Amino acid sequence: MLVLKQVSKSYGATAALHGLDFIVPQDRYVSLLGASGSGKTTLLRLIAGFEEPDAGRILLDDARLDGMPTHERDIGFVFQNFALFPHLSVAENVAFGLKYRANDRVTDAEEIRARSNDMLDLVGLKGLGGRAVGAISGGQKQRVALARTLVCEPRVVLLDEPLGALDANLRERMCDELRQIRARLGVTFLHVTGSETEALKMGDEVAVLSGGRISHSATPSELFTQPANAETARHLNAYNTFVGQISNGMLKTPEGLLGLPHSSNLAEGTTAEMSVRFDRIAVLAPESATDGRMGLPARFITSEFNGSTRLCFFRALDGELIQVLDHLSAPRLPDLDEGSAYELRFDPEDAILHPQRAA
Amino acid sequence: MIQTATPAAVPPAAPPAPDARHSPALKRAQRDRRRALLLLSPGVLWMLLFMVLPLLMVVYVSFWTQTTFAVSPDLTTASWEQFLGSSTYLSSIWTTLRIWVVVLATTLLIGYPVALFIGLMVRSKTLQTALLVLCVIPFWTSFLIRVIAWRPMLGTEGAINTILMNLGLIDAPLTFLLFSEFSVVVGMTQIYCVFMVGPITFMLARIDPSILEAARDLGAGFGRIFWKIILPLSLPGVVVGAVFVSVMVLGEFATAASLSGRKVNLLGNIIVSQVGSLKWAFAAVAGVVLTVIISFIIGVLLRFVDLRKEV
Repeated sequence: MLVLKQVSKSYGATAALHGLDFIVPQDRYVSLLGASGSGKTTLLRLIAGFEEPDAGRILLDDARLDGMPTHERDIGFVFQNFALFPHLSVAENVAFGLKYRANDRVTDAEEIRARSNDMLDLVGLKGLGGRAVGAISGGQKQRVALARTLVCEPRVVLLDEPLGALDANLRERMCDELRQIRARLGVTFLHVTGSETEALKMGDEVAVLSGGRISHSATPSELFTQPANAETARHLNAYNTFVGQISNGMLKTPEGLLGLPHSSNLAEGTTAEMSVRFDRIAVLAPESATDGRMGLPARFITSEFNGSTRLCFFRALDGELIQVLDHLSAPRLPDLDEGSAYELRFDPEDAILHPQRAA
Repeated sequence: MIQTATPAAVPPAAPPAPDARHSPALKRAQRDRRRALLLLSPGVLWMLLFMVLPLLMVVYVSFWTQTTFAVSPDLTTASWEQFLGSSTYLSSIWTTLRIWVVVLATTLLIGYPVALFIGLMVRSKTLQTALLVLCVIPFWTSFLIRVIAWRPMLGTEGAINTILMNLGLIDAPLTFLLFSEFSVVVGMTQIYCVFMVGPITFMLARIDPSILEAARDLGAGFGRIFWKIILPLSLPGVVVGAVFVSVMVLGEFATAASLSGRKVNLLGNIIVSQVGSLKWAFAAVAGVVLTVIISFIIGVLLRFVDLRKEV
């Protein structure tokens, strides 16, 4: 189990991580979601030991990692740009760790060969060991990088946006394979990504890094349906957030008055954030919205066709953007005219209400 | 009006004959080739006039007949026989090669750590450039002054002997410091070291830092990373530096002339003294021998790396 306690790291005046607490359980696929510049890579670099935290502790199975030289940590790191050794062949790249590591070096050439080959088979590169690393494709380089790390049997494997450099098709395939390989080896993977779909798809557990802290860590379905705070909801790219004050059992926002879910127990006057999923908002033409129920007036701007879904963009009275998702297998939105006014409605029970966190 | 002015019916043009000689692609290729030759010609002309021609001339002159005060274009191998039969001249070849090997080793041993520091430890590009410029600053003084400046350093009453005597480390001045092979090696190392530092620094600076991090992450200590990653990746820089240093040291004469007290005779010194006494044919022989040696050494050095791959 990898534990980070109150870890902070700043670069000059910018704090990348700020009192971060994080637990990575044993034998799991954990994905870490964060926007670019959120300190994801910094977090991995601290764990791997390329950099040291300014404050806090990093523990692996109760032994302290921070302060220990990188090459003694037994942590695997898969680089975004693969960082293969350009002058060595595929097999030599994979064998590097076994052959040259300071601790527990393998001296038997036959064993090195056998273990490297086994690992190349596992990642699907059987028979390519003799190739130069400049003579293989991007996907194959990714596999070499993975094999090179895994053959050393690290206790935790850190993957820094491992699919970022691959094209879409390959990314899909690597997703499945990464999960399978991890399950076969029973080692912990910590996979960092900026893509919410990738994070939800890959992780047994998903953590969201925001404002230098882990804002929420849970199973993918829990994280997606019940984000613990508005920051988490924002990262999922599936929620509209409205900020306002509780007033007379309603949330008073610049966009309009919003109904509260029954479970709400926030005191009058509290500043709160309400998150509503893109696909839980209904759109009504003004003439059909005459039943007197509450809704947000908004103007339709444009929509984006994504094959099985359509994402529609509305502009609220205060200029805020509101997104509405229509599943085209069961379309529920009326015909929309660009520039026309509509009324947006949602069931207050579908909304998630959080008191605003102190910045 | 305009419409009537345009020809109403153009007879359909016959489809162009499938004649490869007139295909646009071929024309374009020809044009490109012509332009390439045009760009190449000044360089080729220059090299022909100022390198190939003089080189052939030197070979030719080496077979001329040399008398005490004149040289005449009657072909003879006398100069060659004299050169190859004289132990003085043959031993100067060995001296040249010995000094070359020693200076190559010292410039590498001193230059590589400097390059390692500038190219790998210093991460700011600006600082890297600044440090390299610092290495070049000695070149702002003239070559001869830099060489002669070693005399007051290394002489029997020079700075080093004075300091060592004052510290009580030695009783009598060290005499091997100046006017010896040692002083020639010191002088050359100081002058040519920067030609080793530069190319190696550039190669080291090109190494992706994540490659070194990956090696560390795989468990390798610094020693292993140096021997297995850093050194192989910087080898082209070492070879280029070695080529620079070799070419300059093998053709050297000034350092030896001013720091060896005429004890060290390099091939370069022989050429200079023979030219000085107007023995053109003999100087040409030494020149041909030197050119052959340099070409051979460069050829061997370039065997180690494929520089075309490194561009």
